[in-house]
Amino acid sequence: MFEYALSVMIFLPILAGLLLLLCPVSKGAARAIGFIISVVILFIGIEIFLGFSGKSGMEYVEHHSWIPSLGVNYALGIDGISLLVLVAATFLFPMVFSVFKTKTKGFYGNLLLAQGAMIGAIAATDLILFYVFWEIMLLPIFFMIGIYGGEKRLPATLKLTIYTIAGSLLMLAALIYVGTSYHEQFGKWSFNIADLSALSLGGGFAVLAFLMFMVAFAIKIPLFPFHTWLPDGYTEAPTSATFVLSAIMAKIGVYGVIRFVIPVFEIEFTRFAVLFSLLGVAGMMYCGLAAIAQKDMKRMLAFSSASHMGIIALGVFCLNVQALAGSLFQIIAHATSTGVLFLFVGLMEERLENRDIDSLGGIAYRAPVFATFFAIAMLASVGLPGTSGFIGEFLIILGAIKFSSFIGFLAGTTLVIGVCYMLWMFQRVFFEKSKESTDSFADLTTGEILTFVPVILLIIGMGIFPQSFLEKIEPTAQQHIAQISAVSQSQVADTTVQNPGHNNHKN
Amino acid sequence: MHDFLSLLPLIIITAGAVLLMLLSTFEKTNVETASYISMGFYGVAFFVQLVIGCGPEVTIFDQTFNGMLVANNFSMAAGLVILGCGFFTSVSGHSYFKVNQFCTLEFYSIMMFASCGMILLTLAHELISAFIAIEIMSLAIYILVGYDRQNVKASEAILKYLMLGAFAGAFFTMGTALIFGAAGSTKFMAIAAALNMTGEISPLLLGGSFFILVALLFKVAAFPFHAWVIDVYDGAAAPVTGFMATALKTAAFALFANFLAMNNVMHSGWVTFLFYLAILTMFGGNLVAIGQDNIKRMLAASGIVHSGYLLIALVALNAEQFSGSVIAYYLAAYAVGTLGIFAALSYLSGEGERRADFADFKGLAKVHPYSAAAITVFLLSMAGIPPTAGFMGKFYIITSAFNEGQVTLAVLGVVSSILSMWYYLRLIINMYFHEATDTFEIQGTPLATAGTFALVFCVFAIALYPVVI
Repeated sequence: MFEYALSVMIFLPILAGLLLLLCPVSKGAARAIGFIISVVILFIGIEIFLGFSGKSGMEYVEHHSWIPSLGVNYALGIDGISLLVLVAATFLFPMVFSVFKTKTKGFYGNLLLAQGAMIGAIAATDLILFYVFWEIMLLPIFFMIGIYGGEKRLPATLKLTIYTIAGSLLMLAALIYVGTSYHEQFGKWSFNIADLSALSLGGGFAVLAFLMFMVAFAIKIPLFPFHTWLPDGYTEAPTSATFVLSAIMAKIGVYGVIRFVIPVFEIEFTRFAVLFSLLGVAGMMYCGLAAIAQKDMKRMLAFSSASHMGIIALGVFCLNVQALAGSLFQIIAHATSTGVLFLFVGLMEERLENRDIDSLGGIAYRAPVFATFFAIAMLASVGLPGTSGFIGEFLIILGAIKFSSFIGFLAGTTLVIGVCYMLWMFQRVFFEKSKESTDSFADLTTGEILTFVPVILLIIGMGIFPQSFLEKIEPTAQQHIAQISAVSQSQVADTTVQNPGHNNHKN
Repeated sequence: MHDFLSLLPLIIITAGAVLLMLLSTFEKTNVETASYISMGFYGVAFFVQLVIGCGPEVTIFDQTFNGMLVANNFSMAAGLVILGCGFFTSVSGHSYFKVNQFCTLEFYSIMMFASCGMILLTLAHELISAFIAIEIMSLAIYILVGYDRQNVKASEAILKYLMLGAFAGAFFTMGTALIFGAAGSTKFMAIAAALNMTGEISPLLLGGSFFILVALLFKVAAFPFHAWVIDVYDGAAAPVTGFMATALKTAAFALFANFLAMNNVMHSGWVTFLFYLAILTMFGGNLVAIGQDNIKRMLAASGIVHSGYLLIALVALNAEQFSGSVIAYYLAAYAVGTLGIFAALSYLSGEGERRADFADFKGLAKVHPYSAAAITVFLLSMAGIPPTAGFMGKFYIITSAFNEGQVTLAVLGVVSSILSMWYYLRLIINMYFHEATDTFEIQGTPLATAGTFALVFCVFAIALYPVVI
């Protein structure tokens, strides 16, 4: 039955989403359908997670020919890299459907479409197929922000859409370049990532193509300085769209780098690693400092999310197993902490119609359960030991210090900024004097508590028993790093022999 | 037998055109019947073309009329696109002319004559017959553009198009004469043989082929001969514009590709020239399109950009093993998207096409969600967003460009499609993100609506089952 599990996970939400968009369904029914579908996907996701053996290869593979003349296949598979991203994309969706009741059916339809497309992008092992899903997943977000967003939604939508489409079209050019290079070197067409990693690219075009890929993913992550669409986009988007963007879509950017850029562009990647890891640290600092200054809670979380994406990206660029495993672990930790914080802010907004930090206060006295949950997610986000965030950040910092002690030092100290803005915000919103605006704040209902309890448990569980997750990631991470260091070392040695000054200059 | 078969679709369409011309003398037959008849003939011809063209052989017949016409897979595919365009134009015309009543029976007859010229053009491998085909096509199109005699804009359009088109025709004949002087023949085979003998293009041949390229560049609205297209598309009735934008471009590009692919010497002689033209066409078209407020003018300008992409495909074609599959696929993908939008405009723009600007379509999604969704699909296809036909077309073109080492062109093509996102998204934003101020009553018959949704299906069908010929 699980032979076609991935296809089902992709196309069930897409078909259901299209049906919701095309058929006249009532709001409640649409939400119920969405919830049921997402729960079904969740169960398949759990099954895949438990059934995943972690032997550093692709599992649940599907392979059908799509465009034979160009070697494009409908190829799906899951390995240690994509597993946790997949988990993030499946575990968190039922919450969105169960928490927010006020949206129209079009919104729920788009949400399902987004889920299907994202799972498609995560599971695709063919570059063209990946690109197709990668583009499709933007469309529902475009409509969700544009139709259901806040006051300044139009500029925000346009900025986000043009920015990301520009990035992905550049990536299209780059991936076709990779495909044609493969055709030149091996005499046949293939866009399969396993084949493409055999490619040896060099010269100016390879660097250009590498940068095009990186720009596309950097925009999605978003990596400093490609983050400017993020504050507006995250703030204006309806909360569930923000949640999707921050908890899952941003991770697909990181995932794309690990899955597609590292195996194909080993040499360019090692060459530019220092630069990109510095960008990651710069993003952490800049967005963290910006978060301190924000008055709007959602905007503050937007910057905080960007800041944390910086550390995840840093883990990818450090080129060692600890950092890579840490990044993969942090992907789901970040989704469950920062992503869930967005949902909490959405709940507050629904109840109070207000997100202004200064006008809030004393919520903890009115809603102790809500405050507790919020605190746990927030502490996980700042990386308190015993929560999921600690494990990920610890591994990344460890890897960063191994990579370069300077960058490790910078990253480690920057984490303090995160603690600053989070705790200060928490103090102002949840403690201090209770204000009139928050007097009527109702605590979580039983339904909402039941929705959030699994995530809260997951946060703590991942913090205390990280091994059950790490053991699935590490074999693939090791293999990945082994591959890249083997190729790049031999290559760097070559260039050094031929042109001694060259390597130093590049670094 | 075979040569007759390969011409059968052409004969069917001609028969239909003549029949309609005769029927127009009877008062009893009305315009609706005429559109049904033309749909029928287009449908039959399309089916016949499909049956003949689906065979495994690449060249179906290359000696029709002593080598003047060559039927191969490329010409078959281009012919299919043209016949499909004719069919859907009749469909949208059926609704459009219910509201805008300036149509007579001859309209459909002339449109079918135009299609005859186009199909002949896809087959032509000889300059005189190509010229005849171009003139059959152009004369018919001139009439179609100015069909609404009461409309000042249409009269302006026809005058512009006729004058400039006449110049282009003159250039073509001039070129033919020069080439005949140089090569001693007007057949592509003979010209190619003459080129192979010398191994380079002689000055006389260079001049002749330059004139022919000028005429063709005019027909496909490439830079710097693109200025006419905006006003002409704007002035013509929506179904006619759709027909011109798709079928005419297909026919012209078919001849263009056949002419360039005649042999390697010819192609490599013009590559650099076409390289710069492709870049200028793409970016010039984009600059024009970004400034437009009227949807038809925007589509005209975006048509220029698409000509630029097709020029990339022409630069990157391989004259040794020319199959034309990339060009034919892109033409088909472009045709379904453009025809779809014009079919939707046919029933949405109302009497006298009063809804024509971006702002007029504000809030369409609130009133007609399905129509708005269909237009969105067409726009996304033209913008090249997966999983639509337009994406696959762009993918093939960029792949072929990389494969022939035209990296600059491929990258610039991508940059140009980033620019074009702006005006495609603009219409989507107007339709979805604003409140409706108009009631958008749909007049006319539901046929155009049905045609629009059939084309939505085609957009996905072509994309997901890409039959690369």
